[in-house]
Amino acid sequence: MTNSIENSTVRSVENSMLNKQVTPASSLSTTDRVTINLKKRHQKEKRFKSLGLFAVLFGFMLVVILIADITSKALPAFHQHWVKLDVNYQSDWLNVDVSSTQAALAKQMKTASYRKVLKNSVYQMFSTVSNKKLSRKEKRQLIKLFSTNAEFTLKEILIADPSFIDKSVNVWVRLDDDVDSYLKEGFAVGDAGLRISQQQAQWLAQLSTEQRIESRFNVSFFTASDSREPELAGIKGALMGTLLTLFVTLLLSFPLGVAGALYLEEFAPKNRITDLIEININNLAAVPSIVFGLLGLAVIINLFGLPRSAPLVGGIVLTLMTLPTIIIASRAAIKAVPPSLREAALGLGASKMQVTFSHVLPQAMPGIITGAIIGIAQALGETAPLLMIGMVAFIVDVPTSIVDSATVLPVQIFLWADSPERAFLAKTSAAILVLLTLLLVINVTATVLRAKFEKK
Amino acid sequence: MNTPLLFIVLLSLTLFSYWFGLKRSLQVAGGAEHKKDLTCLPEQFGLLTAMVCGLPALITLLIFNSAEQLVVEQLLTSTLPMHVQSLSNIDLGLYLNNIRSLAASETTQSLLQGISSQAIAQPSDMTLQGQLQAALTLQELNQLTVWLKTALVLIIAVVSVIMLVRNFSLTYKARQKSETIVQALLVASSAIAILTTLGIVVSVLFESIQFFNSVSPAEFMFGTQWSPQTAMRSDQVGGSGSFGAIPLFAGTMLITFIAMLLAVPVGLMIAIYLSQYASTKLRSIAKPMLEVLAGIPTVVYGFFAALTVAPVIRNIGESLGLSVASESALAAGLVMGTMIIPFVSSLSEDAISAVPNALKEASLGMGATKSETVVKVLLPAALPGIVGAILLAISRAIGETMIVVMAAGMAANLTANPLDSVTTVTVQIVTLLTGDQEFDSPKTLAAFALGLMLFITTLGLNILALKVVQKYREQYD
Amino acid sequence: MNKMMKSTLTKTIISLSMGTVALMSNAANAQGSSRDTITAVGSSTVYPFSTVVAERFGKNTEFKTPKIESTGTGGGMKLFCASNAIDTPDLSNASRRMKKSEFEMCAKNGVTSITEVLVGYDGIVVANSNASKAMKVSRKELFLALAKEVPAKDGSEKLVANPYKLWSEINPTLPANKIEVLGPPPTSGTRDAFAELVLEGGCKKFPWIKTIKKQNKSKYKAICHSVREDHAYIEAGENDNLIVQKLTANPKAFGIFGFSFLDQNSDKLQGSIIDGQEPTFEAIAEGSYPVSRPLYFYVKNAHVGKVPGILEFLTEYTSEAAMGEEGYLTDKGLIPLGGEKLVNVRKNVLSLTPLALNK
Repeated sequence: MTNSIENSTVRSVENSMLNKQVTPASSLSTTDRVTINLKKRHQKEKRFKSLGLFAVLFGFMLVVILIADITSKALPAFHQHWVKLDVNYQSDWLNVDVSSTQAALAKQMKTASYRKVLKNSVYQMFSTVSNKKLSRKEKRQLIKLFSTNAEFTLKEILIADPSFIDKSVNVWVRLDDDVDSYLKEGFAVGDAGLRISQQQAQWLAQLSTEQRIESRFNVSFFTASDSREPELAGIKGALMGTLLTLFVTLLLSFPLGVAGALYLEEFAPKNRITDLIEININNLAAVPSIVFGLLGLAVIINLFGLPRSAPLVGGIVLTLMTLPTIIIASRAAIKAVPPSLREAALGLGASKMQVTFSHVLPQAMPGIITGAIIGIAQALGETAPLLMIGMVAFIVDVPTSIVDSATVLPVQIFLWADSPERAFLAKTSAAILVLLTLLLVINVTATVLRAKFEKK
Repeated sequence: MNTPLLFIVLLSLTLFSYWFGLKRSLQVAGGAEHKKDLTCLPEQFGLLTAMVCGLPALITLLIFNSAEQLVVEQLLTSTLPMHVQSLSNIDLGLYLNNIRSLAASETTQSLLQGISSQAIAQPSDMTLQGQLQAALTLQELNQLTVWLKTALVLIIAVVSVIMLVRNFSLTYKARQKSETIVQALLVASSAIAILTTLGIVVSVLFESIQFFNSVSPAEFMFGTQWSPQTAMRSDQVGGSGSFGAIPLFAGTMLITFIAMLLAVPVGLMIAIYLSQYASTKLRSIAKPMLEVLAGIPTVVYGFFAALTVAPVIRNIGESLGLSVASESALAAGLVMGTMIIPFVSSLSEDAISAVPNALKEASLGMGATKSETVVKVLLPAALPGIVGAILLAISRAIGETMIVVMAAGMAANLTANPLDSVTTVTVQIVTLLTGDQEFDSPKTLAAFALGLMLFITTLGLNILALKVVQKYREQYD
Repeated sequence: MNKMMKSTLTKTIISLSMGTVALMSNAANAQGSSRDTITAVGSSTVYPFSTVVAERFGKNTEFKTPKIESTGTGGGMKLFCASNAIDTPDLSNASRRMKKSEFEMCAKNGVTSITEVLVGYDGIVVANSNASKAMKVSRKELFLALAKEVPAKDGSEKLVANPYKLWSEINPTLPANKIEVLGPPPTSGTRDAFAELVLEGGCKKFPWIKTIKKQNKSKYKAICHSVREDHAYIEAGENDNLIVQKLTANPKAFGIFGFSFLDQNSDKLQGSIIDGQEPTFEAIAEGSYPVSRPLYFYVKNAHVGKVPGILEFLTEYTSEAAMGEEGYLTDKGLIPLGGEKLVNVRKNVLSLTPLALNK
């Protein structure tokens, strides 16, 4: 075999040198002919090399474009505009009875009409300035400037300090997402935007000259969970769901995978059945993730009746996905342990079990852990299988256990990507950045752990 | 104590019994200096003791937990008034749910409050008072269960240890026994791992067979009309229910083809450059870059494809006067190609590096330039590996879901024009399964049949790749 | 390898396995623990309204925020009517009234006591990106554009497979673009409403088809409700937001969805003028826009009192702050019920009057 290749190597090299040209036999010597072609061949060489370099640079460019695009889209999500309002907590607007007892008052404050307080305070602010009463349409437009959450901010402030009743207080509330986008896009002062009317733009200009508008870092992106309002939406719920699901996946797939690999590699008899099992596992590593979602739906939810949208089910589906990867990686790591090590231990009188656990496993541990972490990182970014098992509902509460309804970060990204509100675009990109950071952390951990084990 | 606390106690008991077994074995030997008289190390005695303490108790705990709910429910139901007991399972289940949520609130005070905030009880069924009564009973039962569980588990742990330790003697084969247990554990866990992998194949097969009972395989494989949205009710008019999957396969192929057109040349060239020309510095930057490309979740790629790439292609197309669909196959294909580049490049690089240096050096020694060496020597030698890599990349592209769900269309179009919108097998699986959830309509089962097709295709490609590499690979040394 | 490492490893393995088992037994318990979150399924049109109420409900009260899934009216009804068991949904959103067949299915499965809640009105619009011109079209023309079989062009009383590829082929005043309409699948109530109001509305304009109605109702329905399957009508799933996105990307296509989506995206989309009426808030509220339908949701009375908070949720939903003329649902594009109607609805709902469908 080798001989024929070497022969053809020689022949093909000769051919290119001579460039297969038929030259008059007498005129040039071989050396001359070679020299003529040399320049062309060197040029070809240069072109080829630059083509390769171009390919590598192209790859770089793709990565850079992707990250830059997402980062630029994500930046607006990290800060938000707030506005300072003069809020008048009049008790008749709130509908509370100031003369009642402390306890009764506290109860009343929970269900008081803060919306009315907000509305009236805002009307007051603007009608005193412009010196005329606002029309119904204008009132509506005015209230639209503020986030629907504003009344809850008012509620929190009052409950924290009930002495504010019947007093006028400065309260910072969020602006509506349309206004927020308008301000971020930097239209000229007083110009109407896409969803902002002329009148609203003028009010905003007025508020801004009065130094009432401020841009703050958007902490609620990390502390709030999903919401219908883009300015309130956050990833806390999704992050918790991801962590819980990953925890379940790790707990299930790591022991099962390593144990399976150990058994198959060290203890199982080498026959047809184990061959079949090996083929089966190898193939499963290549199965598209969506098939696992089908499985999760058919078996886990229908047959076993576990709750939909729970991290438990998500974790089980992801375990099924990562199990083949972990088994294959572990087997490769175990196989890589030199037989001399095993034989030396056996020669000293160790039993098979001792050889495996005291010598082979620790030696293979770096490879096993790396494989496990790579599998987990893959599972972290998976969306398709989780779509099938119902993690696509609108879930606001942050999950606290593995059987609460939850969603995970990739699914949250998918859901937000569908929302047409402009502000959700920024939020989606920001969530993607968080996801990528998480993946980076996991991969770095893997590298560090591997280095640490290898040093031992 | 509740389950988590019980676990911690059991764990500490296990660790303690390790120490206890160790000490006991030394005692049997007659002191530390007679350690060598034992058949195995004291530590191994300890290990055995620990396992004997932990495992039976653990198994008991597991069985107890699974049976707990059922037994408690039965006991609780028997305390309810007769007319409630005779209700159907479903109605009874509703009561039990309410009783459970009542019992879950902490004190009697909040129980009473809970009643006032629960609005209407169905008349002629259980009164709220009765439900409160039952809730209190449930609380008592739960308490009892917890005590029982704790006692049982701890007693079993302790008794097992004592019974074991009594048998310790100089000739006791502690190590062999512990190894048998560990082996059993290994077999059990790998059995689970293997069975689940088998189970995946079986369940997809099962549902698909059900599908093929209502729709003939011939129509599925060779029909060209894909219109699965059948009517929901008898009085509704829906789609015609044709399940010809050819447009789906065609769409998948088109997008895969475009992806490979991008990924193969770029990936191969990167592999060649990195293995032959690049300096160590460049390689140390390029490798992580490729890993980044490989590690980005596909939903991110889908987002990028739908929101950035597709509009750009549309605009370019419009300015050139072509009619470009907003969800062109081109957009999805290009982004998918980007995702696959790392696959092709790293697998090809492995294949090229596997060619022995002797050939490369022989060629260079003859005066060939590097590019000539690569093209005429290394590539032909590495060809099987490269072909294998390409086949694996194709199977990855075929199975890709998120990029196409977000960037490709929904119309089952049979076309070869990359500027049109097509749909793929994976998009249809997702579309069919979000919404209707019952498992006997052909619509839902069609998703399983599509999944089976996907599975078989990727399986076939993988086996082919393996065979190609095995058969044509030159054994060098 | 030293002893320390080995025992650490052993301990790790033991604790990992224990953790696994703990998790599993936790799961086994899950089946027995109570559900304290209200669950709703159903229409994608009602979804935006229900989720807003759900969020406020979660913030204002001690109850858990209800979990809402968008499955389509038809799909939701199937899940809702499956049984009274605790793992079935408590509420079902619908963008059309419950059909008699669905009511009977519910009754057959034991769900006999259902409360109907009329939420408000919504128009169905045929919208396109406002980068293109708005289309002036009649219901008859929409029928000719979208039906599976249409009357032959020569006026004879025959049906042929739909031959129209461009809008201008139906009526020269319409744009010379390919007919491309994204609409809901049969699981959607919007689809049912569209078929009844628009397709049937246009179909009856052919007198000979109208006479068939008296003779053979199901044949009439088959003619008027069948939608073409040759990629001119594309079923775009239950995600109306997605349709909005696709329309902005493709200005030549049209989309069928509820008015509330048009209202919320009025900076990008515009509605077609159907039979001379523009789809505006006022036109729909007055009834002059021909394609408007009521929105509902249905409550499984058997679950009231068994899953905490259902009655409180109903109170919040039917409150003046939500469904009233100045309520926050109106801000989201809902056409509200008038004052007196709302009072009646509230009375019915809070007393959980069961539905009796006689149609």
